[in-house]
Amino acid sequence: MTGAQGLARWCRRNLFASPFDAALTLTFVPLCLWALGRLLIWSFTDAQWHAVTDNLRVFMVGTFPLDMMWRAWASVLVLALLGGATMGLVVTPPHHPPVLQVGGFLLATALGTVTPALGWTLACVTASLVGWAGMGMWPGMRKGLGFGWGVGLIGIAMLLAPAGAERWGGLLMSLLVTLLASILSVPLGVALALGRRSRFASARIICTGYIEVMRSLPLILIVYWVWIVMPLLTPDLQVPDIARGLLGFVLFFAAYVAEYVRSGLQSVPCGQVEAAASLGMSSSQISRDIVLPQATRVVMPALVGNVLDIFNTVPLLFIIGLTDFLRAGQMVLVNPQSGSRTYEIYLFMFAVYLAIASVITYGSRRLEARLAVGHR
Amino acid sequence: MDRVDQFALNSQIPADTLSATRTRRQLVRAGKQSLIVLGVVALIAWFAMSVRAGLAHNGIGFDMRFLSQVAGFDISEGYAVTAHGLRRITPSDSNAQALLAGFINTIKTASVAIVLTTLLGTLVGMARISHNWIVRQLSFGFVELVRNTPMLIQLVFWYFAVVLKLPAMADASTWFGGVIASQQGIFFPGVDCAPGATLASALSLLAGLALLAGSAAHRKRRKWLLGGSLVALAVSVATGFPLMVTAPHVNGFVVTGGFSASPEFTALLIGLTVYTAAFIAEIVRGAIVALPKGQWEAAAALGLSHRAAFGDIVVPQVFRVVLPAFGNQYISLAKTTSLGIAIGFPDVFNVYGTVANQSGRSLEGVIVVMLAYLVLSWVISGSVNLLNSRLLRNGGTR
Repeated sequence: MTGAQGLARWCRRNLFASPFDAALTLTFVPLCLWALGRLLIWSFTDAQWHAVTDNLRVFMVGTFPLDMMWRAWASVLVLALLGGATMGLVVTPPHHPPVLQVGGFLLATALGTVTPALGWTLACVTASLVGWAGMGMWPGMRKGLGFGWGVGLIGIAMLLAPAGAERWGGLLMSLLVTLLASILSVPLGVALALGRRSRFASARIICTGYIEVMRSLPLILIVYWVWIVMPLLTPDLQVPDIARGLLGFVLFFAAYVAEYVRSGLQSVPCGQVEAAASLGMSSSQISRDIVLPQATRVVMPALVGNVLDIFNTVPLLFIIGLTDFLRAGQMVLVNPQSGSRTYEIYLFMFAVYLAIASVITYGSRRLEARLAVGHR
Repeated sequence: MDRVDQFALNSQIPADTLSATRTRRQLVRAGKQSLIVLGVVALIAWFAMSVRAGLAHNGIGFDMRFLSQVAGFDISEGYAVTAHGLRRITPSDSNAQALLAGFINTIKTASVAIVLTTLLGTLVGMARISHNWIVRQLSFGFVELVRNTPMLIQLVFWYFAVVLKLPAMADASTWFGGVIASQQGIFFPGVDCAPGATLASALSLLAGLALLAGSAAHRKRRKWLLGGSLVALAVSVATGFPLMVTAPHVNGFVVTGGFSASPEFTALLIGLTVYTAAFIAEIVRGAIVALPKGQWEAAAALGLSHRAAFGDIVVPQVFRVVLPAFGNQYISLAKTTSLGIAIGFPDVFNVYGTVANQSGRSLEGVIVVMLAYLVLSWVISGSVNLLNSRLLRNGGTR
């Protein structure tokens, strides 16, 4: 069978199997081609992408002070390194001498002397490659990764602190809030899930009530509520808006994490618990050493999905006046110099969101495949 | 452990020691329980005291009387509930009326969006498993695009980049013989009372509709109910049909007649419908794929066509499975109406924001709004559960 015949057969089977199918194909193919053509022609002729490129800094860091730009770049560098290392957990890095990385750093330094932004960007890409390859070279680093994230995030907070928390913004802030909220909501979520399965009826009722009420309320309301209540609780301490918003996210998403964890706990056969009990382990020992490690494997993909959920809801922080990536875009839109280029700006923002979501989804899929290995 | 072994073990321990151990254990458990309760009560008490102290620090007390005070601000759309029915909300209405108007807007948006999103989502879900390659790819792209970008960016996109970019009222063209789409809103043909309507025709129309609804619910007496409804409708037409269709008319800058949807409502409705439809589509697809292949094969062996197998074998089973998952999506949709504040739609959260600004009662107002959302969530999950249990009962055991 030749290629042409194969193609004809594929078309007949997948596009013209029935009159109805043929009608669908004949409607949608020209429609798609027309729309795609219009989009391409527009983006190469009418579209003025300088509305995006001129405001790239606003998109990335919001109103971060110009003279402290290196701090923002350095924190992105740390994020890239840690992100690359995390990627190394799920995507096996190649074993070859680090020529590419060293070359990348040299090129980045060379470029940085001419155009700092390009140099920094290249340095960040290289850093993520270094993290990725490093994970393959020294597998022992895996255990230290959680510690690395902790130190890295504290380091980033210290790097960015001199600018003042109210000046954090743009995509950088979106990423930081996502990371912190995803990490901090896990301990509370696990506690709630364990409480919901506790032997004590009181703990069960309280945890179930918390989870159900939180899940019945909109996040935007929780964030706003925490924002107004926090200053009443700490009258002497001025808590920055970003910390209050973060607390709202943690309280809200902990309820969701609790439900994911609960489904993971339920997936552990009760024979495991009974076997552990018959060996004389205490209930806290059983939870820690028997149930949680097995549940983690089931819960992990859902928790990565939760990271994407958090990232996609960070724009709600507009309600307490924070400038995340989306609000930065809205700021660019109301700017009269670039405001008329609505479609360019929205297209750019959609593309960035999709790109980040694809990375997270890809990681989640790989993680799922990895964890499934050796699973009954 | 075997029952015999246990007996042997127990028999070596005196009975009173055993019961004493049990009592001690029970006491310890009760002690732990009360410690948990005490801890939580203490936490809540600390929280309430701190909030009180914080409020006192700022010179305000906890006070719900703001609800009966005059709102004093304008709400772009919404109704006040009075003893004489609904009327347009005005700035002289109370804060409670304003919040209620917002809540009605929330309910209105959520209920229309739930109907539309179920239809669109089911359609896309079926397209996801279509035999047609291009339809499959398009629906896959739609679902991925919608699920992987924030709802808020979709909402502001629909509002600022689509609805507000529609032509102005003067240049707006009329679609399908009566729909006007302009940046001032979308206008549909509506149903209104005909001028020559008589009581008899109105009553017979109502009776006909009631019988029609009854015929859908009662399978056994369907023929009789359907016949009765036809007779009643015929009487209604003969005595002068009480309703008429009114098409919207543009008079300068004002549109009269028909239903109107404000730009904010339109954008929120489209945003919610499209966003939730992607999730509904995945639920539908998952349920169809999860159906045992034997069902399809058995239908094919009986000589049913692909479409007949789908309509008569697959769909009835799928809808039994997906309803609880749909319910979760409906609740999430109802909660997401709160994003209307980003485009200025006066839903309950948006109205609350204005009330809190005007009266300074943000903390008291939040309690009211939280209650509103809790009630909404519970009503939706309650009705889905009810529907689900009825569906399962009608469908027999499974």
